[in-house]
Amino acid sequence: MKPFHPLTFWALFSSLTVGVIAADNALVAISAVGGAALIVKFYKQDGPWRMSFQWSLIAGAVLLLIRAITGMLIGVPRIGDVLFTIPRISLPDWLPGIRIGGDVTWERLSSSLQEGLIIATVIALFGAANSVTSPHKLLRILPSRIYQLGVTLTIATSVFPQLISSISRIRQAQFLRSGRKPSIGTIAIPLLEESLARAVYLAEAMEARGFGQSKSQSRYRPINYAPRDLFWISIGFISATAMVAL
Amino acid sequence: MKSLRVALISLLVPSTLIGFLWPFFVSSQAAANKAEWFFLISTTISIALIISLVATDDLGSKNVAFLGILSALVAALRPLGIGAIGIEPMWFALILAARVMGPTFGFLLGALSMSLSALLTGGIGPWLGYQVFAAAIIGCGVGVIPRNVRGKLELAFLALYGAVAAELFGILMDLQFWPWALGSGTELSYLAGAPIAENLSRFFSYHFVSALAWDIPRAIITVTLILLAGRPALNALRRARHKAAFLTHVEFQELANVRLNHR
Amino acid sequence: MITFSRVSLIYPHSTTTVIEDLSFEITEGEMVLVMGHTGSGKSSLLRLINGLVPHHTGGILGGEIIVDGKSTRRTKPGELAGIVGIVGQNPLSSFVTDTVEDELAFGMESLNFPPDVMRKRVEEALDQVGLASLRSRNIATLSGGEQQRLAIATALVMHPKVLVLDEPTSALDPIASEEVLAILHRLVHDLSVTVVLAEHRLERVIGYVDRILLIEGDGATSIGEPSEILQRTDLVPPIVRLSRALALDVIGTSTREVRKYSEAIRQSAPDSPRPIFQPGEVVISLNEISAGYAEKIALNSVSLQLRQGEITALMGRNGAGKSSLIKSAVGLLEPTSGSITFGGSLAGRDICEVSQRERSQLIGYIPQEPGDLLYLSTVAEECNRSDRDHQLASGTTLAALHQMLPTISPQSHPRDLSEGERLSLVLAIALAGSPVLLILDEPTRGLDYEAKNRLMALLHQRAREDGTCILMATHDVEIVAEVADRTIFLADGEKVADGTTLEVLLASPAFAPQVAKVMSPRPWLTVGDVLRAQSSSQ
Repeated sequence: MKPFHPLTFWALFSSLTVGVIAADNALVAISAVGGAALIVKFYKQDGPWRMSFQWSLIAGAVLLLIRAITGMLIGVPRIGDVLFTIPRISLPDWLPGIRIGGDVTWERLSSSLQEGLIIATVIALFGAANSVTSPHKLLRILPSRIYQLGVTLTIATSVFPQLISSISRIRQAQFLRSGRKPSIGTIAIPLLEESLARAVYLAEAMEARGFGQSKSQSRYRPINYAPRDLFWISIGFISATAMVAL
Repeated sequence: MKSLRVALISLLVPSTLIGFLWPFFVSSQAAANKAEWFFLISTTISIALIISLVATDDLGSKNVAFLGILSALVAALRPLGIGAIGIEPMWFALILAARVMGPTFGFLLGALSMSLSALLTGGIGPWLGYQVFAAAIIGCGVGVIPRNVRGKLELAFLALYGAVAAELFGILMDLQFWPWALGSGTELSYLAGAPIAENLSRFFSYHFVSALAWDIPRAIITVTLILLAGRPALNALRRARHKAAFLTHVEFQELANVRLNHR
Repeated sequence: MITFSRVSLIYPHSTTTVIEDLSFEITEGEMVLVMGHTGSGKSSLLRLINGLVPHHTGGILGGEIIVDGKSTRRTKPGELAGIVGIVGQNPLSSFVTDTVEDELAFGMESLNFPPDVMRKRVEEALDQVGLASLRSRNIATLSGGEQQRLAIATALVMHPKVLVLDEPTSALDPIASEEVLAILHRLVHDLSVTVVLAEHRLERVIGYVDRILLIEGDGATSIGEPSEILQRTDLVPPIVRLSRALALDVIGTSTREVRKYSEAIRQSAPDSPRPIFQPGEVVISLNEISAGYAEKIALNSVSLQLRQGEITALMGRNGAGKSSLIKSAVGLLEPTSGSITFGGSLAGRDICEVSQRERSQLIGYIPQEPGDLLYLSTVAEECNRSDRDHQLASGTTLAALHQMLPTISPQSHPRDLSEGERLSLVLAIALAGSPVLLILDEPTRGLDYEAKNRLMALLHQRAREDGTCILMATHDVEIVAEVADRTIFLADGEKVADGTTLEVLLASPAFAPQVAKVMSPRPWLTVGDVLRAQSSSQ
């Protein structure tokens, strides 16, 4: 299957984000996450970023939890139906003016959860966009104004996995030399030396291939929008408009 | 052209900082709710602008190769930590590389390694701008250490800076996350319209809790690594910088002169 | 095509000339080999051709270099990209992107080539080096030979008139190296590309080159036909040594030629095989070990016993299971089935029961990248560290290193050493604890003949005098022929041959050493073998 334009899903999920924030409604938020989950299920990319959506769901849940706990423990009391009461704890003098505990009301809890839910949804939508877009493709559409910076990121993404395997190679060699578990420093130094030697070498290779000679650059196999890219982008706009209108 | 860029950057940096500091200045809760989302977008845009202004010059193959590979290295060192959050060996590499290669390089290295890390782990989102800005500032800030110090004093300066940078990164991240983590209406949340002193006290109470978990381990690992591995790492960086001949001296002479001068 | 007139070069912060008063001319469609000892300035010479030296590296250049009518004084390396293509020693380090096709396009993109031209040239280049089927592969997953061919292709997309290669086959196995050389041969003959290359493994390239540029120890240079230049140097491939030793009337640039002239000795001399070495007791035994997963079996039920004083060579193509076997033997990789036991004083103990601390005393290991072991700032510090690791008297390791290599300076930085010197340092460290088993992974990469001879002498001495058991994974058939008692061949994770080096190497056409090819079908692998046979006939 031909891949999507790398910005397609970013456009889709950005519109959804705007819609969710504007609607400020728990039901809308939850259905947006549901839609995102479906898209991720079908268009998930291969690579470590594939897990991004799952992680973002976990991060969102953690945030909700923090909000619930802090809301209950140190929330400023609101008048309403008291759900339960937490005994008061007073803190030492050097943490001034903070009270822990007190009455927990339904109004207090639901308002902090509602706000939290919206934020968790935004995190999840961005996680979904990450999951369905290859970062290598994203690099290919960077504006030509920052072409050289884009090349640094291209180099970095292609060298990164090799450095990770160098780390384990160096760790093993050091382990065999001394029979001890090597420290971060003894791994970092050979890794740094290897990387620097590589940088010196790469700079030369790039220079010889004419890097930096031309003021403007062209694209091999430029990435264009296809009808189905436009389809998903308009889905995003329509649902965002619907959310705002509701 | 160059001075225009410098002027633009010096306008943009403080306005990006407002993205971190707005909770101290909002007058009402309604304004705060708008500010929250506004600054999320504006910070991302302004950091992107700053980076493209800094990098708009022809970097050249040497800088591009070094930035690319060193940012991969810094990002690769991130997971080398012993598992606990905050124990990130990356700061040590960023600070030492910035020390040798200069503040502009340090700025870009900080920005690029954060972006790379997000790119590879699928962490792109509105929060990325804040992280990139903080890392770039830390990489750039190494420039405050006097150029000519060497030896033990240099390591002491760098270690001190490492501790400060670890704490600074913690404060900046907490500032960014503060309104999001707590929302409004808790004892530690910002209070729209309250005096700055009141909000500062609330923020530092909040920061104190998170610092214990994140910033103190981060500072310890950074300082330890700088003191332990700083010397060989600085040597390696300086030798590579020398080998790559960043300050190329190219000269063409007649044969007779080459002999005369160097025999 | 390339003219050097009275060229001298001094690098910045240095007071000695790397190259002095060098003049020569290379014409279109010529293939020229640059030859010289390590540190003689070969790499500098190659990089002078496209102006990387001094434009990129800094330095003072005297004289003038003209390439295709352009002077490198006024033209920067990037502007010469369409005239000179350069392929460095380490292709993987020169790649910018991570897929084959993107890499080919990178140079053209940065030079703003129109997309349709790029498409056409990418296809051409893929065909020229035979990588079309791997076009969308991740570069890191390619074999060494494929990476080398890709590096050549990245130069070819620019349609260069000159192709410069630094050690193009050093890191490759014999088959991959043949593939690379065949491509170069085609470029020279079909497209009249001028090729200039440096290579330590002369035996591989000598048959292909038209002329040789020799840089001698004192910096004097000469250029000429191979037959003429090879008379004047001691840096010669085995086949030339053979021809000299037998006092033949030919220099020995081609197998066919030497074969013709050595007819007599092949007919008359008795076999007089090298004495078969009787090894001591078993040091380590691998019992039916397997490793890897169902789809990708790295090792399939391999059994092996290594004995005291024996030098064993482990050969096979990339991915045949050599590294898995080595990693299992040192305890880095736990086999999925089978067991590994130690012999000798640890009789019968399984590798899992021996602590890593003990293991590192028993086994000396030289990784493929010797630099992985080094993290201190001077040679002396590394040696002291090794003394402490092995509880030796201070200075022991350094003394051992000096015995191997008297010229090495204790204050030099390990990263500034040549490949040969670095290998000596790592060997000194690995041998400091007097291990019973020494394992080397591709130790001859990037070594010149001198360093290789040093390595062979050391291995021989360690094995015979100290009874060390040595296992060496290598592609280098010549060193195997000279020094190994026993050779094991792996293919697809299985042991396909295991016997004396003579038996195994003679049976394999692709891995036969040069002397064996000349002397086929007689059982002689090295010049020494032939001389032994000759003297016993008299």
